[in-house]
Amino acid sequence: MRSALHAEWTKLRTSPGTLGLALAVIVSTVGSSAAVAAATGCAPGGCGQDLTRLSLTGVQVGQAVVAVLAVLVIGDEYSTGMVRVTLTALPRRTTVLAAKAVVVAGVVAVTAVPAVLGSLTVGWFILPGHEVVPRAAVGSVLYLVLIGLLGLGTATAARNPAAASGIVLGLLYVFPIIAQVVTDPGWRRHLQQAGPMSAGLAVQATGDVDAVPIGPWQGLGVLTLWALAALLTGGLLLARHDA
Amino acid sequence: MITVHGLRKRFRGTVALDGMTFAVRPGQVTGFVGPNGAGKSTTMRVILGLDRADAGDALIDGHPYRGLRDPLRHVGSLLDAAALQPGRTARNHLLWLAHSQGLTARRVDEVLDQAGLRAVARRRAGGFSLGMRQRLGIAAALLGDPPALLLDEPFNGMDPEGIVWMRRLLRALAAEGRAVLVSSHLMSELQETADHVVVVGRGKVIADAPVAHLLATAPGARRATLEDVYLALTRDEVEFRAVDPARAR
Amino acid sequence: MNAFGQVLRAEFTKFRTVRGWVVAAVAAAGATILLGLLPGMQGSCGRNGPGSECAPTLGPGGEVVVDSFAFAHRPLTGDGSITVRVTSLTSRLLDPGPDGPPPDDGSPHEASAREAATPGASPRGSRPAVVPWSKAGLILKAGTAQSSSYAAVLVTGGHGVRMQYDYTHDRAGTPGTVSTDSPRWLRLTRTGDTVAGAESPDGTTWTTVGSVRLAGLPPTVEAGLFTTSPQHAERVGGSLGAGTTGGPTEATGTFDHLLVRDEARSAGAPGQVARPAWEGENVGMPGPAPQVPGGDLERAGGVFTVTGSGDIAPAVAGAAGIGVSLARTLAGTFVMLLVVTVVSTGFITAEYRCGLIRTTLTASPRRGRLLAAKAVVVGAVAFVTGLVAAAVAVVLGQRVLRGNGVYVHPATTPTELRVIVGTAALLAVAAVLALGLGTLLRRGVTAVATAVAVIVLPYLLAMTVLPDGAARWLLRVSPAAAFALQQTATQYPQVANLYTPANGYFPLAPWAGFGVLAGWAALALGTAAVLLRRRSA
Repeated sequence: MRSALHAEWTKLRTSPGTLGLALAVIVSTVGSSAAVAAATGCAPGGCGQDLTRLSLTGVQVGQAVVAVLAVLVIGDEYSTGMVRVTLTALPRRTTVLAAKAVVVAGVVAVTAVPAVLGSLTVGWFILPGHEVVPRAAVGSVLYLVLIGLLGLGTATAARNPAAASGIVLGLLYVFPIIAQVVTDPGWRRHLQQAGPMSAGLAVQATGDVDAVPIGPWQGLGVLTLWALAALLTGGLLLARHDA
Repeated sequence: MITVHGLRKRFRGTVALDGMTFAVRPGQVTGFVGPNGAGKSTTMRVILGLDRADAGDALIDGHPYRGLRDPLRHVGSLLDAAALQPGRTARNHLLWLAHSQGLTARRVDEVLDQAGLRAVARRRAGGFSLGMRQRLGIAAALLGDPPALLLDEPFNGMDPEGIVWMRRLLRALAAEGRAVLVSSHLMSELQETADHVVVVGRGKVIADAPVAHLLATAPGARRATLEDVYLALTRDEVEFRAVDPARAR
Repeated sequence: MNAFGQVLRAEFTKFRTVRGWVVAAVAAAGATILLGLLPGMQGSCGRNGPGSECAPTLGPGGEVVVDSFAFAHRPLTGDGSITVRVTSLTSRLLDPGPDGPPPDDGSPHEASAREAATPGASPRGSRPAVVPWSKAGLILKAGTAQSSSYAAVLVTGGHGVRMQYDYTHDRAGTPGTVSTDSPRWLRLTRTGDTVAGAESPDGTTWTTVGSVRLAGLPPTVEAGLFTTSPQHAERVGGSLGAGTTGGPTEATGTFDHLLVRDEARSAGAPGQVARPAWEGENVGMPGPAPQVPGGDLERAGGVFTVTGSGDIAPAVAGAAGIGVSLARTLAGTFVMLLVVTVVSTGFITAEYRCGLIRTTLTASPRRGRLLAAKAVVVGAVAFVTGLVAAAVAVVLGQRVLRGNGVYVHPATTPTELRVIVGTAALLAVAAVLALGLGTLLRRGVTAVATAVAVIVLPYLLAMTVLPDGAARWLLRVSPAAAFALQQTATQYPQVANLYTPANGYFPLAPWAGFGVLAGWAALALGTAAVLLRRRSA
């Protein structure tokens, strides 16, 4: 496992796209958070909105980049055929996936911390005077890490980076869109509880926690289940299939 | 030593391997030949644990590949020279492989030298010619200083100088006591390089003999080449055959 | 067959022989249809026995209207005028029932009338609020039946004095709110078919707000005082998981100095002494009707109040309105958009990945022509699949929604056709844009990620995440602007509602939005063609 980790880390470090994507995560997250905060012109502390959550809106944009980064970690190997070289060097396939998962989680976490802190700082400067809830910040970092794992698992299962990024983005955004058009409030709530994005982002809610369809940590739990399911499916297919 | 015993595999109705059995002995270059679709690549992929056989086993010194710890220290292989991420430099490609086996960067530089890639080590592998990619693949195969090597079509895309280098390298590796399996369609090259030949067709071994023995027992002429022997052996095993241009007239 | 035809044919063969692409296209069409049918799971129209049918009535102009208010009225024959002073207009938010905020779907009776069933009594909590479009004033109406022709002059909670008539028309008078310190005098005068509305700060200096001809007015109309207050809706959280909240509101108008001048009566038979009786009535809303002491407000002469809930306005779809628009059946379009984007990008990047592009360019060396052929193929495939999916989703989706008791705003056949063909065209041009990006970037993953980020993400973000201002901006400049093609609902400034993209209101006109996408596609394809010619393969 140690050598697998070392190898995966070297691989990610020397891949030309990684640094750019990591920067893109930070820029897109902070940038869109700032844009949203600026667009919401309301009196300090007095617009009845969940300001911590508002200044973390960029996470919902940055997650798309995180997903692409994670998909590329294995997807690019499938598309170049290098996955066979990898599996020749490291025949224990679950170890390979585990090592990739650790590296992805680490890189995403390291990227997410400045992205989230940057968003909160910018939000605090634009809409000063609101209390920043630590749970929302820590939760957002965990959220992005889990999105990364979801992307990795999906890409491992799909074996095609283009299809995988399509599937992950579809999975993330299909629930909120459907939840918006579903007329039945009960169903709408269920959809928001089940969707990886709508449930996972409940961790950002700081104001009226009851107004959110699912509790903050339960919501993150739902996303964890999604990520685990994706990794498990990917792991099983990787172990079963001929490379 | 690599031993392959009774391998069988089907892909959606077509039989790829049908009881493939042979051994690759140390100190020899073993040629692995057969028509397209005879099962050469599948066999190599099964040996390397990339594909699973439906029956039979392929062992490296008595162990299945997937059970090896740091497998590149046991078997070095080159399957598809194009299988690398184009954006990474040659050196970094070898570096992550080295790290996966607990090897250091120094070893990377050694094999880069050995493959004659020192000058281009920091260039993106995506810009390499096929011949240079083959050299990079060889460097990767040598990385773990393995006692056995598995090379699929290593002469492909090599310039004449490269072919000479490859021939010498294979001889030298065998002379060091390593087991070397080389698949190729270039019979003239194998006649010069290989000590032993395994001829396969339709998923089975047709002939498994020393090159000298095959040449000696060839029917007809004294000047028989390995190519003649091969064509005679595989006459009935070829799946796809073009109409002989001479007869088509 | 000409040269272009040959390349076209070759490219189409290339497309249809990749099983994954064909499967993806068919699956995406299926998913789009399914998602179009899914939303109509529950509504209340016609589900709670007879009388619960949602049948919003058609106004004089043929559009769907809402017409519910508290009305104290008397008949007025021939020419005449009615004058009153309004001294206050207050509103309250009625807390929604125990079953949470009312769904922003097609249950108008639930949404407005049922909640208004108990105005004044307020068994539930309520709190004072400013409802900008609450209304109190004078109205002349063809009859007390809903959706009949009318003219009204009124004060509002936040938009000053207005003259409104026949539901869709609105003219502004003096801004400002009313209070006992600054009351407003209002007057409606009928002369033949013409009704003039006037206002005055003191009852002596009058300003005409508007004068309109109402052709459909019968000789005898109902004239009187009315109060109404529309559904309130606001976006909470500005972000996901919260959505919209709102509920019914109720307004109370305080009136005095009521004066009716009846030309027919003053000029007519001297023997007729008694004035026509005043009646209190709730039009289109249940609950206790306005009190009319002694059946004669004029004689009462004092101060009286009218409390009402509802609106007299065109019906809109969305949070504060009733029902849903046609576009809701096409909620699954983005799935197709996603697949079309991924497949079209891959149609060219797959060639670069395996070096097939060299074979292709050897076979068809005219690169511009090759790119055009590819664009035609992906565009046509996207168009045809999109057309089938959209047609089925719109036709079946409406049926499912209505069958499940959701009110769907009717659209004319040309509008329906525009939505269906527009959706197909949107997908086709998006496919061309994706192909252009794929050609520019060549590397599969980068290209797919970029194409998805440029084409699909803006729509998803605008619909789910971004606050209204940012969403509308994005839907003006990004390729997602083309979703305006799915717009069927009209925005009325005089109707309070959340005109958000999520409710089917787009900032651009349909074909203008399409133009934005087409511009992007032309730019990408043009640049791609130039680069493809210059670059070595």
